[in-house]
Amino acid sequence: MASEQHAFAYDPEKNYDEDIMAQQRQIEKEIAETQPLVSGLFTFDDIVEEYTSEDAVYRHKIEDLKTRYANMRKTRGDGNCFFRAFGFAFLESLIKDPTDYSRFLELVTKSKDELIALGFPQFTLEDFYDTFIDIVKQVKSPGTVEKLVETFNDQGLSDYFVVYLRLIVSGFLQKKEDEYIHFIDGERTVKQFCSQEVEPMGKESDHIHIVALTKALEVPIRVEYMDREGLTCNAFTFSASDTSDDSLVKPAVSLLYRPGHYDILYPL
Amino acid sequence: MAMKRISKELMDLHKDPPTNCSAGPVGEDIFHWQATIIGPEDSPYAGGCFNLNIHFPTDYPFKPPKVAFSTKIYHPNINSNGSICLDILRGQWSPALTISKVLLSICSLLTDPNPDDPLVPEIARIYKTDIAKYNETARGWTQRFAM
Repeated sequence: MASEQHAFAYDPEKNYDEDIMAQQRQIEKEIAETQPLVSGLFTFDDIVEEYTSEDAVYRHKIEDLKTRYANMRKTRGDGNCFFRAFGFAFLESLIKDPTDYSRFLELVTKSKDELIALGFPQFTLEDFYDTFIDIVKQVKSPGTVEKLVETFNDQGLSDYFVVYLRLIVSGFLQKKEDEYIHFIDGERTVKQFCSQEVEPMGKESDHIHIVALTKALEVPIRVEYMDREGLTCNAFTFSASDTSDDSLVKPAVSLLYRPGHYDILYPL
Repeated sequence: MAMKRISKELMDLHKDPPTNCSAGPVGEDIFHWQATIIGPEDSPYAGGCFNLNIHFPTDYPFKPPKVAFSTKIYHPNINSNGSICLDILRGQWSPALTISKVLLSICSLLTDPNPDDPLVPEIARIYKTDIAKYNETARGWTQRFAM
């Protein structure tokens, strides 16, 4: 490949951060134009087409998923996919089976004052909380999956929902600081970790985010990991409490993890 | 949603203005504000009155506001265009933050520069090696441009 050599000259008058941010915005725009925030349903036959015939490992694993799951929904790859996938899938599960609705509503209603007590600014927090609760209440008003898909594809509403989930995770980690400090890399306090890796939009979720969200909301999650190792997907269940036996937990939400990204799975 | 949120912040600022700062829309456009920061007493910027331009992006508060000094200032994290090197205006912006918090952080940056992450390496070098010279130059610029 022929390449032109550019001698890089640092220009102190220039703000390189702004160039980087502008470039990042352009990339985000391209992704937004091609991927909905939450897609319609896909069959695994649609998904398998994403992989060429040489990609035997992935094709094999999709066959494996077919034995346990009926279909899936994709989420936009914008760094918020875990939170968005979880939020949509859990509310959708409540539309189908409202058993857990009252408990969940009570828990998240209490979360507002807890977060304000932790030092989050009241007036922005209330803004996110109000929208979050409105969306949760759509489930019973009476909710339809079509309406939920519409809400989650409204960028403003969808992002407000994601922000509040991020704040819940941040609040939970800060409350359990003594426990979680051991899982944070680098010389950072839990609060620093939260302001760098949890609260900003678009920061990808790691194991610690998922553990915190499942425990904070008491909603168990199953994740099917699809990578190049082995021939079947590895399923891992994040249980909602430290005491329950994983094998007895019935996850409310199932997600598919492909390196760097989460989508929603629907069990058979 | 951005408009609603910005209006809310404006009301909040009137009700509970942060110390030594003021801010509000320049004209009819609610997305374009001007702010003023009074140089903190315990800094070489004391006595100065610094103006800043604020532009809110259309997807605020998911993206940070653009904030820049329009008054010239001698500071390792602020360049000659008024651009500010501050983590919460970049990757560490969170939608739970407000313009009021941003202005307070800029005030702290005036009192405590961060020479290890400079925007103007030369000023950072002087700050680290000859603090008296840095203080004198910063005071001189404050008198010339901000009073």
